[in-house]
Amino acid sequence: MRILLVEDDVDLSRQLKSALSDAGYAVDHAADGEEAHFLGDTEPYDVVVLDLGLPKIDGVSVLERWRRDGKTTPVLILTARGAWSDKVSGFDAGADDYLTKPFHTEELLARLRALLRRSAGIASATLACGGLWLDPRAARASVNGEPLRLTSLEYRLLHYMMMHQGRVISRTELVEHLYDQDFDRDSNTIEVFIGRVRKKIGTDRIETVRGLGYRLTPLTGESEAA
Amino acid sequence: MSEAPAPVSEAETGLNRRAVGGWLLRPGRSLTRRLVWLASAWIALALVVTGAVLTYQFQESALRRLGSVLSATIDEAVIATTVMPDGSVLTTPIMDARTLRLLSGKYWAVAEPDGRGGLRTLVRSASLGSEGLAVPRGLPAQLAEAAGVNITYNAVGPNDEPLMVAASQKTLPGRAAPIVFLAGLDRSDIDADARQFATLAWVTLGLLGIGLLIAVFLQVRIGLRPLYDLRDEISNVRKGKAARIERTYPAEILPLAEQVNRLLDHNQDVVERQRTHVGNLAHALKTPLSVMLAEASGDPSQLADIVRRQSDVMKGQVDHHLRRARAAARSQGLGERTPVPEVLDEMSVMLERVFQSKSVEIDWRAPDSLGFLGERQDLQEILGNLMENACKWCARKVRVSAGTSGLGQMIVVIEDDGPGLASDRYDEVMKRGARADEDTPGSGLGLAIVDDLTRAYGGRLTLGPSDMGGLKAILTLPAAEL
Repeated sequence: MRILLVEDDVDLSRQLKSALSDAGYAVDHAADGEEAHFLGDTEPYDVVVLDLGLPKIDGVSVLERWRRDGKTTPVLILTARGAWSDKVSGFDAGADDYLTKPFHTEELLARLRALLRRSAGIASATLACGGLWLDPRAARASVNGEPLRLTSLEYRLLHYMMMHQGRVISRTELVEHLYDQDFDRDSNTIEVFIGRVRKKIGTDRIETVRGLGYRLTPLTGESEAA
Repeated sequence: MSEAPAPVSEAETGLNRRAVGGWLLRPGRSLTRRLVWLASAWIALALVVTGAVLTYQFQESALRRLGSVLSATIDEAVIATTVMPDGSVLTTPIMDARTLRLLSGKYWAVAEPDGRGGLRTLVRSASLGSEGLAVPRGLPAQLAEAAGVNITYNAVGPNDEPLMVAASQKTLPGRAAPIVFLAGLDRSDIDADARQFATLAWVTLGLLGIGLLIAVFLQVRIGLRPLYDLRDEISNVRKGKAARIERTYPAEILPLAEQVNRLLDHNQDVVERQRTHVGNLAHALKTPLSVMLAEASGDPSQLADIVRRQSDVMKGQVDHHLRRARAAARSQGLGERTPVPEVLDEMSVMLERVFQSKSVEIDWRAPDSLGFLGERQDLQEILGNLMENACKWCARKVRVSAGTSGLGQMIVVIEDDGPGLASDRYDEVMKRGARADEDTPGSGLGLAIVDDLTRAYGGRLTLGPSDMGGLKAILTLPAAEL
């Protein structure tokens, strides 16, 4: 497994390098944002450990650039700023996990194992509909190239609708595919989720067919242009 | 010791102010009340004086008119009186119908002192019949002292009517003994007039007074309206409905409004600066701590063990105190509103990704209009910690429901379907650094942080069992309509 370690503190990077090597990773080290971006862009890493406070280019910008270029390598962020607002901005940039400093090396190793296990899921085809795009393997979706932030219920709803795009799907059908049996099957909740997904992907993409249900349609104008 | 006189002089000025300003000017008393009270005192005084002068003046002039009628009657009686050669007195009837008609209310009489302090009537008007005009004790003596001068007094007439009587002692040629001329006139008409005038005057003045008071009250209300507006605006800032004082105010209180705005800006600056300092300090301390932890890990020596344990303690302390400082700094930050659904959404998306290996599913519900009266970072911190805990301990499902509870409060309930917690351990996990399971890495349950922050906002965190099987955390926080 190849790992890219991005950390500017000399002592910490030396320690992490040796701990990661001991755990069986092939470690490349970058001490600043520029070097990190270059290495991540050119080498096929399995996982990246990225410190956010970096010289030259900060970690969040490096991550944003990778994600814009379509890199899906799982990234774990190391940050001294443990506030949730900082974590949220890291995730907005495309991080897969975070660890706040100071941390135990064992925990870092455990998190990396979990990340690798997750990304090694069974590959399946990506789904597309108009400008919408969904990758079931990475559980990621985007609209017109912009990554979408979806909760699992919203993701599941969109996934189901994309698998059945163009067809009218009834509320009952959606409820059955969204929830387990033990959930209270209140069909009003479907409206709530449709509303939230519409807010994120654009109102016109999900059409309400009165009395029947909902239909996901590629926006005709855009799909012809594309 | 050189400072000793200061408190004395302060006490003195305090006393002086109390003595001079009186209860009306006590600092706590409302401006409206002050102004209205002062104005009404002046108005009442002015009106009472006016009323008294008017009624007095009216009565006086009426009595003067009465007096001149009486004096004319006496003069007529004097002219009609002849002293006979034997010294007896003869008065021909005065040609005035009222003095001829019995008990008409207008009388005259001619008398002489009887030498025993009374008067003996010599001649009387026809209107008197056989009655005389009442004479108070000591009148003859007074008359004798002031001969030729009219002395007036009140008496009861022959018909039981109130009379005003004028008496004058004269000496006529041909008679050495003095003669007293008396004239009486019913004064009940004049008294009634005076009473009517007084009633009219007091009612009119009373109405004028009420009108003036209303005018003063309105003037004060309208005049002070900008102050009330300012008060409302400040209260809106306090409640978080506004960030600054926006309206334009009259020149007198404009500086006050500007100062309030400057104070708000200053507050904001202080909060920002504090937060930056806190962030920098956190960043500066945490990397060295990581280095120490990493260096010690995997080393079985006692030193390494101590470093490891102490680093953990330091980490906990740094986290706790930095968050406390931030919580204290921001509870003064006014006027921020944070949309709750947005924060729930971003937290859910993020935590589901973090706990993806466990396929955690977060089902959150909140009305679109629900807002938190406070800073976004704080809501993120509170919900982040509680939801992360729920994700950590759940089997697969986490449920978050938020809603308003009236009285400007909102309630957020966070539940999971995990093993839960024995009720006797609730208090324990709320304590700083306590962990429900010491084997799980991380900064404990983080509930102490949540509790600190929640308290800083005047809210509450309680724990209980969830019907999903796991732990249920119930948060009360200040709400704001979006």
